[in-house]
Amino acid sequence: MNKYLTIAAVTIKEYSAYRLSFILWRVRIVISVLVTFFLWNAVFDKQTHFAGYQKDTMLTYILVVNFVNSIVLGTKTAEIAGDINDGTIINRLLKPINFLSYYAYRDIGDKLLNLIFAVVEFFLIKTIFNITIVPVVNLPLALAFFATGTIISFFINLALSLIGFWTTEVWAPRFVFLTLVFFLAGSYFPLDLLPKFAYRLLLLTPFPYLVYFPVQIMLGKRLAWQEPLLFSCLWTAITYFIAITMWRRGNKSFSFWGR
Amino acid sequence: MKNFKLFFLFSRNALRTTLQARSGVWFFMIGKICRFAFFFLMILLIFGKTKIVRGYSLPQMLVFYLTFNLIDTTAQILFREVYRFRYQVISGEFDLTLAKPFHPFVKILIGGVDFLDLLLLIPYLLLTLHFAWQTHAVTAFNLVAYFVLLFNSLLIATAFHIVVLALGILTTDVDHTIMIYRDLTGMARFPMQIYQEPLREIFTFIIPVGLMMTFPSQALFNLLKPSFFALAFLISFTMIFLSLRLWNAALKKYQSWGG
Amino acid sequence: MISIKNLTKIYRTPIRGKHFVTDLFNHHYKKITALDQVSFEIGQNELIGFIGPNGAGKTTTLKILSGILYPTSGDAKVLGFTPFDKKPAFLKQIGFVMGQRNQLIWDLPAVDTFVLNKEIYDVSDQDYQKNIDDLISILNCRDVIDKPVKTLSLGQRMKMELIATLLHRPKLIFFDEPTIGLDIFSQEAVRKFIKTYQKEFKSTIILTSHYLEDVKRLAKRLLIINQGKILYDDDLKTILEKFGGGKYVTVMLEKGVDQNLLTKIGAPITNQFPKVVYRVKRSDIPQTINLINQLLPYSDLTVEDERIEEIIKKLFGK
Repeated sequence: MNKYLTIAAVTIKEYSAYRLSFILWRVRIVISVLVTFFLWNAVFDKQTHFAGYQKDTMLTYILVVNFVNSIVLGTKTAEIAGDINDGTIINRLLKPINFLSYYAYRDIGDKLLNLIFAVVEFFLIKTIFNITIVPVVNLPLALAFFATGTIISFFINLALSLIGFWTTEVWAPRFVFLTLVFFLAGSYFPLDLLPKFAYRLLLLTPFPYLVYFPVQIMLGKRLAWQEPLLFSCLWTAITYFIAITMWRRGNKSFSFWGR
Repeated sequence: MKNFKLFFLFSRNALRTTLQARSGVWFFMIGKICRFAFFFLMILLIFGKTKIVRGYSLPQMLVFYLTFNLIDTTAQILFREVYRFRYQVISGEFDLTLAKPFHPFVKILIGGVDFLDLLLLIPYLLLTLHFAWQTHAVTAFNLVAYFVLLFNSLLIATAFHIVVLALGILTTDVDHTIMIYRDLTGMARFPMQIYQEPLREIFTFIIPVGLMMTFPSQALFNLLKPSFFALAFLISFTMIFLSLRLWNAALKKYQSWGG
Repeated sequence: MISIKNLTKIYRTPIRGKHFVTDLFNHHYKKITALDQVSFEIGQNELIGFIGPNGAGKTTTLKILSGILYPTSGDAKVLGFTPFDKKPAFLKQIGFVMGQRNQLIWDLPAVDTFVLNKEIYDVSDQDYQKNIDDLISILNCRDVIDKPVKTLSLGQRMKMELIATLLHRPKLIFFDEPTIGLDIFSQEAVRKFIKTYQKEFKSTIILTSHYLEDVKRLAKRLLIINQGKILYDDDLKTILEKFGGGKYVTVMLEKGVDQNLLTKIGAPITNQFPKVVYRVKRSDIPQTINLINQLLPYSDLTVEDERIEEIIKKLFGK
């Protein structure tokens, strides 16, 4: 167990070698939060309600969603693709550590660090721009959704990297995923703003379960939780299965070339 | 001139390299189109229901976004090679470029024209003109002012990219400087009026992303004071001048990689 | 052709402290002197071997001479130009081959890079064709120039790199570790190529390498650098005379002998049965051999020059 906690600690420490880079990364996140926030702020300029949302609820949603985003979606697994490509993955595989556990703990370290910063930024923004935050409810249920959302995200990102076993074109699919995720996970607007049929269609994909549902539960907006939780667990299982299969098949078929 | 011939050769090689990665090409196209469509639909969704945001109608909001998109895409078409600069510095390729008898900008700034984005530019332009027409504001004079300011925006984009290149030599820490530029310009997808002071002033004039992305549209709607017109050019020329100074200073500080 | 006076280059690398926050505000730098008041001159048609351990300053020197790096102080004049100005007239006369890094476009056939360089260096159609043909025939690689670079072996890529760099017939060529990472056949091919090229086209060549074999075979003049300072600047042959103190006498004993007998001849530097090695001054050789003949039962006796490697190790040790 100690082995794995050390991995998480080392991951955090790695960031200290790239301090400027990390700070700028958080600055970028803050900028994108502010853009969406100000957009919605302007929408509520002359009206107090919009599509069933009050101003405070909407603004809280935007803030929370974007900060949670960086924690749920952030991952170190993207580096696996590069490692496969240049052969350094061999060193990883030769170590007496479960490869997937290694990356799970690496992500735990990564997410922990980002969480700390996200919390600080959240309170800074709230204070500077004088935002009223809607109180949080249903925390345990929300946390359950966060857990499944994080796991789904982990396996999807992992699978995207494992494509590297079969082709060097790894960035292109990831690019598509990232583009889709930012909208379909609800970062720019709450998904229930979409027309009904589009919304129902979206519920069949894993995207809403990453960030949207946990935040909605926390804001008290989503009272029927049974079906979404079921779907969330279903997607956890599916993405796990896909990632594991790719891992096993990839290991067998890959010839481990590299420079 | 020789530099044009070199630019042509670099572009031709870039095209050939693109055509080599066939599956990647499709993914990128899909991703870019999705991203554009999502933002577009989002504006329709939000501002279709809200009558006026900070004084702007729906077609006007669309034109703001579409203009941003035009400038952003054109900059990406021309300066795609800047995204590969860090790799060139780390691998030592940049040294070999420096030792060649032509200005390094011909390679590292404009040596990798993005043909995928070039394809998309035509539909983007048509859409922009369509919605511009819908605003009932278009006169010959405004249209000329619009395109003149578009050109000015490209000058600012050039200056920004040169700064990114200079930073790529000065600090080896940060590998996502160009993305910081993208996030900053992303602030100006919408009219700058949505931001509170002093943010609005800072991002319109000091880090002039607001100027760059929203002034052309403002001119089209006859909302731009003539003094700001002159100011726009003053700022762009100053930026080009300063960015070139920064680049030359960076070259002197350049330490190269490896022994 | 090349004239360097008191050339100095100091690198600054940031020191990371333990505290993340204080580091953001206090910028502590470590200064590394890569070149320390280096001076030398190189004339036309010379082939210089430039050697030194890792971090000695070899690559830094080459990069300053080609205009890539800006000197902290001192003067560098190459072909009458100040390199850092990077005037096109200057750059058109030089070529730079870096081992393990190349300028070839990865996804396309090498010939596409050749055509690009033809334009960059303003090589006429005739000259281009002739130079390419000359190079291809020396390197014997005609069938390879049309294949995508990423499909080539390391040795083949090196050949393509040589053509790409030399197709404009530069007067001055820098080779920075050109044989590193290559198999022995490719190393041999590169050495042969450099030798042939210089004989035929009479360019000035500066070659850095870790492999003394490269330098021994190719260079007439040796420049040894360590920790930013030039330790030796003279003919290759002279180094043996100046620093090579003696010869090594190796005795293979047929049977064990009394240690006193061994020490009567001298203090052996290696004494592991059956091998005994003495280091003997040249003037003492006849006397020592006589003693060995008298005292030791041996099956084999070898007398060798001190190796350049040993001499250089001694120089670096200082």
